[in-house]
Amino acid sequence: MALADFLQQLDELAADAVAAFEAASDAEALEVTRVEFVGAKSGRLKAAQKGMGSVDKADRPVAGKQFNEAKTQVEVALQAAHERLAAGGASSSAKPAEIFDPTLPGKRPRVGHLHPITQTIEELKDIMGRLGFSVADGPEIEDERHNFEALNIPSDHPARDPLENFYIAAAERSHGKPLLLRSQTSTVQIRVMEQTPPPVRIISLGRVYRPDTADATHYPMFHQIEGLLVDQHVTMADLKSVLRLFAASYLGHNVHIRFRPSFFPFTEPSVEADMSWGDDWIEFGGAGMVDPNVLRAVGYDPEEVTGFAFGLGIERLCMRRHGVTDIREFYKNDVRFLHQF
Amino acid sequence: MIVSWNWLKDYVALAVEPAEVEQRLMMAGLNHESTEPVGDDLAIDLEVTSNRPDCLGHLGVAREAAVLFGKPLTIPEPVPSEDATSVSDLLKVRIDCPELCYRYTARVIRGVKIGPSPDWLVSRLRTIGIAPINNVVDITNYVLMECGQPLHAFDLAKLGGPEIIVREADKGEEFLAIDHKTYTLEPGMCVIADSSRAVALGGVMGGADSEVSDSTIDLLIESAEFAPVSIRAAARTLNLHSPSSYRFERGLDPAGVDWASRRCCELILDLAGGELAAGVIDVGRERVKQEPVVLRLAQLKRILGIDVPAAEVQRILTALGNEQVRADADTVEVIPPSWRRDLTREIDLVEEVARIHGYDQIPEDAAVPMCPSHRSDADRVQGQVRQVLTAAGFDESLTVSVVSESWTKAFSPWTDAKPLKSYTPTLKGADRLRLSLIPSLLDIRRTNESVSNPVIELFETAKIYLPSDDELPIEQHTLGIASGGDYSSVKGVIESLVAALNPACQVAVRETKQPLLDNARSCELHVDGELLGFLGEVTPAALKSFKLRLATTVAELSMSALGVIANLIPQHSPQSAFPAMSRDLNLIVDESLRWADLASTVRESGGELLEGVTYQDIYRDNQRDGAGKKRLLFSITLRSSETTLTNEQADEIRDTIVAACGKRHAATLLA
Repeated sequence: MALADFLQQLDELAADAVAAFEAASDAEALEVTRVEFVGAKSGRLKAAQKGMGSVDKADRPVAGKQFNEAKTQVEVALQAAHERLAAGGASSSAKPAEIFDPTLPGKRPRVGHLHPITQTIEELKDIMGRLGFSVADGPEIEDERHNFEALNIPSDHPARDPLENFYIAAAERSHGKPLLLRSQTSTVQIRVMEQTPPPVRIISLGRVYRPDTADATHYPMFHQIEGLLVDQHVTMADLKSVLRLFAASYLGHNVHIRFRPSFFPFTEPSVEADMSWGDDWIEFGGAGMVDPNVLRAVGYDPEEVTGFAFGLGIERLCMRRHGVTDIREFYKNDVRFLHQF
Repeated sequence: MIVSWNWLKDYVALAVEPAEVEQRLMMAGLNHESTEPVGDDLAIDLEVTSNRPDCLGHLGVAREAAVLFGKPLTIPEPVPSEDATSVSDLLKVRIDCPELCYRYTARVIRGVKIGPSPDWLVSRLRTIGIAPINNVVDITNYVLMECGQPLHAFDLAKLGGPEIIVREADKGEEFLAIDHKTYTLEPGMCVIADSSRAVALGGVMGGADSEVSDSTIDLLIESAEFAPVSIRAAARTLNLHSPSSYRFERGLDPAGVDWASRRCCELILDLAGGELAAGVIDVGRERVKQEPVVLRLAQLKRILGIDVPAAEVQRILTALGNEQVRADADTVEVIPPSWRRDLTREIDLVEEVARIHGYDQIPEDAAVPMCPSHRSDADRVQGQVRQVLTAAGFDESLTVSVVSESWTKAFSPWTDAKPLKSYTPTLKGADRLRLSLIPSLLDIRRTNESVSNPVIELFETAKIYLPSDDELPIEQHTLGIASGGDYSSVKGVIESLVAALNPACQVAVRETKQPLLDNARSCELHVDGELLGFLGEVTPAALKSFKLRLATTVAELSMSALGVIANLIPQHSPQSAFPAMSRDLNLIVDESLRWADLASTVRESGGELLEGVTYQDIYRDNQRDGAGKKRLLFSITLRSSETTLTNEQADEIRDTIVAACGKRHAATLLA
């Protein structure tokens, strides 16, 4: 006998047996059925076992394995029938013991969530990547040259007040040079420009630190993204246009960009950039043309190249986008909060 | 800077609605915060950036409005009448600290009558939120808010002697200020003193002893220029911030010092009577002359991207107070006004032209050239780490880089060095730059336990800060994991992560001793002989110290080590088309035999047909197997790339493996 035929017989036998045992309504009927299928002399199972001898020798291990499975199936069905009748139960066809409930909840695999700040950062990185800006990384612990001097922030500038920054205690270090936790990611721009001749087209992003007391809108640590484009012939019109593409990509519809004059030591002209939001304008971030002193500080010639820079706070953007009203939620890390994003 | 609408119109005839003025000022650099009605006046709150102290007075704001609306600006020219007595016969002034006080002027008015100010003055001060005190003090405040130059009136009779000495404060010198609080001064602060004591903290606050009161008859009117750094330090150290200190910190118009003094005296003579002594005592440095600045018109196009007509450029610069000294088709040369010390370079003039001409003139549809951008390998590794961990059910957290000292001691597997310390704490008690992410993650587990969150599986990728002898510390990008699972479940996540980055890499363990972790159930993780990180179950004592109830397993890996092993561009190798055979093995081995050693023997002895070795379980049956024995259950998968293996081949390989395990580990196959 061919293996396939044998296997089909087995399947039919098992199916018949299960149906018959389930249908047995009393002990007598069950005994008749039992003899029919598992009778020691002429039960159908016994017959099947004999039939195995006519299967090709090479196929016999597979046939044997399948036979054992069918046998187990039949025995389990018989046992179940015994138990059902012993418990005074009726036949399953008359009154099903179990009804499949398709409304039961599925078995959910636990899916982890990325922090909303990470999601925002990744989206901004992605957008700026499409606009040709590569991500540059730099240290969070900085020296004064990169955090201040090269950014045109002189030593008497209020931003350099030790109380406005997180300076690192000198006693813990073997070198005398003052170090501090960076107060802006522009430090990375300086490091990149020091190492790379123009053109430069980067974004830098990450943690920045300022001694603000934590409240609903302030936290001593937050995240910034800053963009820098330095090349020949870069103008404020380019800045406005890139910011428009950036904002439109983020929001998914066209927006307009408005500049209001502002003041930052490292850019001039300096502006606050707003984007249109319905009939209103909302703050997007600070921006401007790279100050000639900054270009000179990194060895660029401000007569040869110009550049623009912009920066924005990621928490603020994320809060507005997702309706988060307290910045401290981001750092509490309640998993119920994390699972909302 | 709060501006009174009525007051502003004294200097410029604004025939438009306040809202339009607010809008135009905002678009020219004075950000509009709010407008509140006060009586028949409006209090308009404008934000003034730190480079524009000239706009910290009504005159400066009026000048901006005049330029924007093309109206003339009317500035009063005070000419107070003087009597015959020369001021130098009444008073002497000496500056002992020229680095703290650049210039000091004094005028003397004798015979004033102190009383309430007239209604117009009271109402203007009220509009901008200043409480009236008496006519003389109100006038000094009025002139301060008119031109931005702080003034101080002393009761001349209460000064000890006819000499004013401007000097540096002595260490520990005590000073009773107008607010009737005593301040302890430090060197670096500038005091105005008579022969015996400080009578004012220069530029910050006057003294209680010499303040103008109802009985005051003779006045000394001070108008001075103090060094911004010294004022800032004093105000900050003593937490004494005043409208005066705010303005001095930003630097004032040196030419305005005398104007303000005259304006103040004129108003006092008008409103409080008295006689002004002739002349002025004026000591200190000469006014620094503004240098001319050349603007090449082509720079406007180069920086702004738009052309501005030469006539418009000249109109803007002149209206802002610049003195045009030369102009031709390509350039304009101007001497900036004394009140605009922020204008020293060509780019400063470019900005002036831009903000008055209007940034709305700059287009937002320039064709910026395209440019490739490449995602860095580190960024892609980070992406894979996040993907594997979120797929494994872990949530990403973000925690603060600066932590308490005790946390840095709790777990520091990467270094024995002391953590870097910040002079200022970020949050309460947190002033150490963290050496590990784990304590922060344990703390979040506590936050989550406290609100009964049932599943708390967390990871974070962030930097840790390892002190170094180099110029900058080492910032090691690190992956931290804190889980409610046990050692093997977290190890499994790490193995999956490593496999995702490079399936050819095997994670090996070595012993570690970390006070935070259970000694037996913890390890150092290595890949290709390089340290990858640490893994272990947190001890009950450590759980307690972090106020945790639930068992926790933590791991910390170096992201750069993950980056080293990552194969970001995997290469295809063809799969065998033939089925696999498998064999289960149950070996009795010594209790001390480690799976890794056995598995390596299996791999070595299995030959090239061995596709995989899968651990199944451990059982112990000491009655049958003897003490100190255990049963290791595992299965092997065998496959050939050329043919279907036969049972005999599979059995042969299995027997070879069993023999090798027997030889090397004294393992016996369970019969």
